[in-house]
Amino acid sequence: MAKQQYDQLSPEWFQPAPPNVGEQEKINRPSLTFWHDVWLRLRENKAAIAGMIMIVILALLAIFAPMASERSYKAQNLSHAKLPPKVPVLENISWLNLDGKDPNGVDVYKERGVKEYYWFGTDDLGRDLWVRTWYGTRISLYIGLLAAVIDLFIGIAYGGISGYYGGRVDNAMQRVIEILNGIPYLIVVILFILIFEPGIISITLAMVITGWTTMARIVRGQILKLKNMEYVLAARTLGASNSRLIFKHLIPNVMGPIIITTMFTIPSAIFTEAFLSFIGLGIRPPEASLGSLVNEGYKSIQTYPHLIIIPSIVISLLILSFNLVADGLRDALDPKMRK
Amino acid sequence: MEKILQVNDLHISFDIHAGEVQAVRGVTFDLYKGETLAIVGESGSGKSVTSKALMRLLPTPPSRIKQGEILFEGKDLTKLTDKEMQEIRGKKISMIFQDPMTSLNPTMTIGKQIMEAILKHQNLSKDEARKRAIELLQLVGIKNAELRMKQYPHQFSGGMRQRVVIAIALACNPKILIADEPTTALDVTIQAQILELMKDLQKKLGMSIIFITHDLGVVANMADRVAVMYAGKIVEMGTVDEIFYNPKHPYTWGLLASMPSLDHKDTELYSIPGSPPDLLNPPKGDAFAPRNPYALKIDYELEPPMFQVSDTHYAATWLLHELAPKVEPPAIVRERMKQFADIVARKGGKPRG
Amino acid sequence: MARYTIQRIVYMVITLFIIATLTFFLMKLLPGSPLQNQEKLTPEQRALILKEYGLDKPVPVQYVQYLGNLLQGDLGVSFQYDNRPVTELIGDRIGPSAQLGFQAIVFGTIVGLVLGIFAAIRHNSWEDYTATVIAVIGISVPSFVLAGFLQYFIGVKLQWLPVAFWEGFKYTIMPTLALSVGVIANIARFMRTEMLEVLSSDYILTARAKGISNAGVVVKHAIRNSLIPVITILGPMAVNLMTGTLVIEKIFAVPGLGEQFVRSIELNDYPVIMGTTLFYSALLIFVIFIVDILYGIVDPRIRLAGGKK
Repeated sequence: MAKQQYDQLSPEWFQPAPPNVGEQEKINRPSLTFWHDVWLRLRENKAAIAGMIMIVILALLAIFAPMASERSYKAQNLSHAKLPPKVPVLENISWLNLDGKDPNGVDVYKERGVKEYYWFGTDDLGRDLWVRTWYGTRISLYIGLLAAVIDLFIGIAYGGISGYYGGRVDNAMQRVIEILNGIPYLIVVILFILIFEPGIISITLAMVITGWTTMARIVRGQILKLKNMEYVLAARTLGASNSRLIFKHLIPNVMGPIIITTMFTIPSAIFTEAFLSFIGLGIRPPEASLGSLVNEGYKSIQTYPHLIIIPSIVISLLILSFNLVADGLRDALDPKMRK
Repeated sequence: MEKILQVNDLHISFDIHAGEVQAVRGVTFDLYKGETLAIVGESGSGKSVTSKALMRLLPTPPSRIKQGEILFEGKDLTKLTDKEMQEIRGKKISMIFQDPMTSLNPTMTIGKQIMEAILKHQNLSKDEARKRAIELLQLVGIKNAELRMKQYPHQFSGGMRQRVVIAIALACNPKILIADEPTTALDVTIQAQILELMKDLQKKLGMSIIFITHDLGVVANMADRVAVMYAGKIVEMGTVDEIFYNPKHPYTWGLLASMPSLDHKDTELYSIPGSPPDLLNPPKGDAFAPRNPYALKIDYELEPPMFQVSDTHYAATWLLHELAPKVEPPAIVRERMKQFADIVARKGGKPRG
Repeated sequence: MARYTIQRIVYMVITLFIIATLTFFLMKLLPGSPLQNQEKLTPEQRALILKEYGLDKPVPVQYVQYLGNLLQGDLGVSFQYDNRPVTELIGDRIGPSAQLGFQAIVFGTIVGLVLGIFAAIRHNSWEDYTATVIAVIGISVPSFVLAGFLQYFIGVKLQWLPVAFWEGFKYTIMPTLALSVGVIANIARFMRTEMLEVLSSDYILTARAKGISNAGVVVKHAIRNSLIPVITILGPMAVNLMTGTLVIEKIFAVPGLGEQFVRSIELNDYPVIMGTTLFYSALLIFVIFIVDILYGIVDPRIRLAGGKK
């Protein structure tokens, strides 16, 4: 066939040239650790990065904005009540509605002779909404952090013990979870609120009681799966102790699902607190939570829409950001799901 | 013999994030009526991709047929619309897959899954289709076929499931059966049963089989002709005897040498050094050169053409060029070649050809 | 399967019993009593009322009596609503809540499934991205925020639909919409993931190799197999819907159970709170039980294996 066209080849070319196999086996890509790889994948996810940046911004505002303001979250000033938002510089961009005018176009600040700027306006008692909103965000972040901590400590320990020891221990521990899961979270909260006062303590306690069951189930399932894997058996055969097995072999391999679960717990905890505060079971005035701020905003939804719009946007952004990061982490940690 | 399928210069690429993976790079072969053609090669050699491409079962994107044609009954399968292709799949060309544990729908009864193929292609009533399905189950050696029809895949063992998969593939008496490593996931004893079944069915039904495998033992048992694939190309092609008694390509030597054998307990099992090339950036020249102890300088520069050894035997290696040094296959391969000849002789058969 | 069902029923009863017991002892601990609004009573009248409510007996006796009453569906009487039985109050209010919940779950499930299926079939296309964005926003924006926006824009600004109250089908549209967004988002996300997984499975390839059309593969094989796991999220979904009705009914002034519940919290009407709580728990536990059993029936692997997953 193609033989003729190759006829003019020089005999020189037909010298043997066996390959250097050692050369061939050299790995020429830098080896990446698992976490480095996860980070590279996460970095490509624009939504997750946007979420992370947003969380940092919101957290910084929540921490520093109330501190930097000379006004307190509960200081009332009736002469400054129900002022619409007014922000320097941005007041000149008319569609943003940050010019201190109410929905009818009246410049309330000028009318009442208020010289100060209230960036987010004030509520019906003249409390500064800027400070109250960030104060409420603090509560949301605290709840999110708390949920994560509970997940990480109680959830992992419970699930880990249950899965690792198996047998009768596991059986008993699973029955407890099953019953705890049967009791709706809302009901546990209500019980605590009836014993204590509505507020942060009741929510915290209710979370401690029920918030970790999902994590416990996931960790247990993973440990059950992993502990029969050959590499664990191998380590056991080599005489590794229980704690070494748990901390060196099992936990690191469960880290992915743990992180994903934790990240999804945070937004749902934040939502739950906002929801409870909204229906009056959570944080109550004069304390401020994003949920209770939205609830108060409903009273004047037509006349002073800023009272509902601002905390609504902040709570939505907060939950959205955490969800985006959680989604991103899940995709980065679980390559199977990334298609 | 009558050619039933012709594949000419088939190129298939996958467009991924990092670039274009050239999974199949110019594959050419013919399939004759009633024969079994085995395609052998390591994982990633493109054998599975080729077989799925014949059925047009590769997802597009990311895959695309870059070039080449697949001629079947006067039609180029690469140019058919989805609808036209559906008329061929399952009716004229069927396929069975590697893992019987996952290749059946877990929530549909076996009967329905077989009848689905019958009803799609044949103008039969439901009752007739049911009868035909029961016949098929009996044909593939499943007892209590009527009862089994109402059962779900999880109620079948792996070997039984593979029989069901075969029954589905044979539902419409296809001209070609493509078997993509049909026994890899099975126990050795079951493996033998399934192979026997396939041979038996081929005798009864007269279809052609394309048998994808990496197991040369299976090839010796099943195939009439063999195509050896490496890095997306066919590197050697011939009758089963030619490939086993007179292999020409160093890669085929490597494959033969790495076959475990019962007679040689004391010798160390050979393995081909290195790993297949990255098809994202296929190397210049012969893709096998970096792993080839017999490589020549030219292997790193120019791709070898197909050299003809006999009417039916071709190999793509520069060693067959008249200027190349005369190289004998390594001792272990020569020994293997002799063994195969002996086995055939002992069986009283003569080399097929 | 039968053994599994019985086991589930036993756990269901134990859980309910625990909740009921907790409820009872909490009521005992709480400061309120049926007498809290009638302080100007003579000791005789007081004793008479205590006797009427059975509060003069020792606590263990009261407990047994309470459990007995529960079994007969007696949840006690309200402190606030003229001492009306809690069961009656619940009965009065259940209608709108049930309608709202039903409409939301039907509408939400249908839209969610369509979105999820579409997103999976058109994986990585703009349709997929749109569905994904809708879903992530849907699970992120709290229903009470969304309800406010609907109320403000559709009700107040555009005046297409009534802002609040419950006087006909038109009044149910906005609350249903607000309530179903969470359902849509959750179902769409779940369905999309399931479908993608199923679509990449081997038996889909087998079906295509049979010559089944793309639509046939999706309808007969992919959707059916993806729908089965979706049943598992109906339980948590019911919890979501329940908490959802609390805020949605409050915002749209729907005379439902949720609205009454929130009001009774504000008024510290403990019997109503506890009774409704108990009712909600029973409902949820029952829903989760039904979902579990349903899953077993729909999936032949569980139905025929006769045990747990």
